[in-house]
Amino acid sequence: MPTVSAPPTASQVPDASRSRTLQLLGLLCGFTAGAWLGTAEAPTKLVSVGVSPMVISLIMVIGVFLARWSLPALILGTSSIRADVRRAPHLIIWAVLAGCIWAVANTLTIFAIRDIGLSIAFPLWNSNSLLGIFWGFLFFNELRQAGARRWAGVLGGALIMCFGGALLAIASATQAPAAHSMRGVWAALGAGILWGTMYIPYRKAYLTGMNPLSFVTFFTFGELGMMTALAVTYIGLAPLWQELLRARDVLFWLMLGGFIWVIGDVFQQYAAKYVGISRGIPLSNSNQLWGLLWGILVFGELHGLGASTYVQVIGGSLLMMAGVGAIAFSSATGREQLQWKEAAQRESQRYGVSADYVQARMQGRQAANEAKPSRSALDWVLVFGATCIFVFFATMARAPRMSFHGLPALILSAAILVLLSVCGLALWRTTRFQ
Amino acid sequence: MQRNDSSDFSRGWLASVLTDMHFWVPVAVLLGGLLLLKSIH
Repeated sequence: MPTVSAPPTASQVPDASRSRTLQLLGLLCGFTAGAWLGTAEAPTKLVSVGVSPMVISLIMVIGVFLARWSLPALILGTSSIRADVRRAPHLIIWAVLAGCIWAVANTLTIFAIRDIGLSIAFPLWNSNSLLGIFWGFLFFNELRQAGARRWAGVLGGALIMCFGGALLAIASATQAPAAHSMRGVWAALGAGILWGTMYIPYRKAYLTGMNPLSFVTFFTFGELGMMTALAVTYIGLAPLWQELLRARDVLFWLMLGGFIWVIGDVFQQYAAKYVGISRGIPLSNSNQLWGLLWGILVFGELHGLGASTYVQVIGGSLLMMAGVGAIAFSSATGREQLQWKEAAQRESQRYGVSADYVQARMQGRQAANEAKPSRSALDWVLVFGATCIFVFFATMARAPRMSFHGLPALILSAAILVLLSVCGLALWRTTRFQ
Repeated sequence: MQRNDSSDFSRGWLASVLTDMHFWVPVAVLLGGLLLLKSIH
């Protein structure tokens, strides 16, 4: 990964090599996002049956909320978030809207899995990448003047990933009973449409220069607010509280899942910023592959099943990797990037955001008149508070008795930590997390 | 005077959001999702 070692400034003229560096960085972020989003499923597998899906989702979102405030405070400091909001206050509305959409989509997937099983539901909602490509093209000039080869790479890659994902889902749901119902199909399709559309606010934010770390901070208000409203509406306040008390042994594992998910999502946001939603979404959809690796290698899922299941798993995995490769080799050309720039100019004019600021942020640099991000006492209070809450729930947690293979868990953990270090370092050296 | 400037600024960006066609697409999809959730629950 080519990087620059000097602190980036807006005065540096954008050039082809910088654009190429950012494209590679975005692809690496998309791949890392897939790894961490997939790993987020691992702690939730430790939770035994008996907790309502709505409660599982709510507790994960509480972990997400804590992480979404503490991580940006730790990485850049809340002063940077405040500065972003002063420059582009309209993006708070976009971020909260995206958070609400995420919560509704996530709840729909719970109903979809219940009614039609994971094998049918997953490919249906995984179609979100195709919708993301459509919105990216229609609203943000993505893939315009990209040429037939890149169109084929992105669209073909996304379709191959959908097909590979379908094979993996069928294999991983072999043991799960599924009561077929149109209701489940609608729920899965609805989730796909919601998630595919959620990327409109993402791209909107990054075309107007917002830092992904600022965006996720406000995104989480929509997420937690909507999830709480849904849980209270569908379960009731008193039963919800009782269920939370009953589930106190597993609260930590679910919150940990939420925390890991946030790390993946932060990389997904950077991918959406630097390679656009048409390429970023399919890349981060490789999370299914990582989730399955954890399931098979660490938790012994699929153990004792027939050879055809393993053929499906290997075939599905190879197809997903082929799809990722096709998209990775279809990065945006100079002509397509000019189209992105036009979309960014349109946004900066509409919302009265300085063109220099937008241009600098699109190039992953600080604007010339921007203050250097710094951490204050408030940031350390946020980090300390979130850590204390996690430690508190960790003291209540109990390790469930279930099949768990330590060595593969260690290898997979090392792999995602290497990806985190490499991608985090590349982001820091290239953009200072802008 | 400063307060008026600030209030104009707030009204300005709010109006920009509400008159942006892109904004109403996710809003409509969110409402559709909530209706779907209500109907299947």
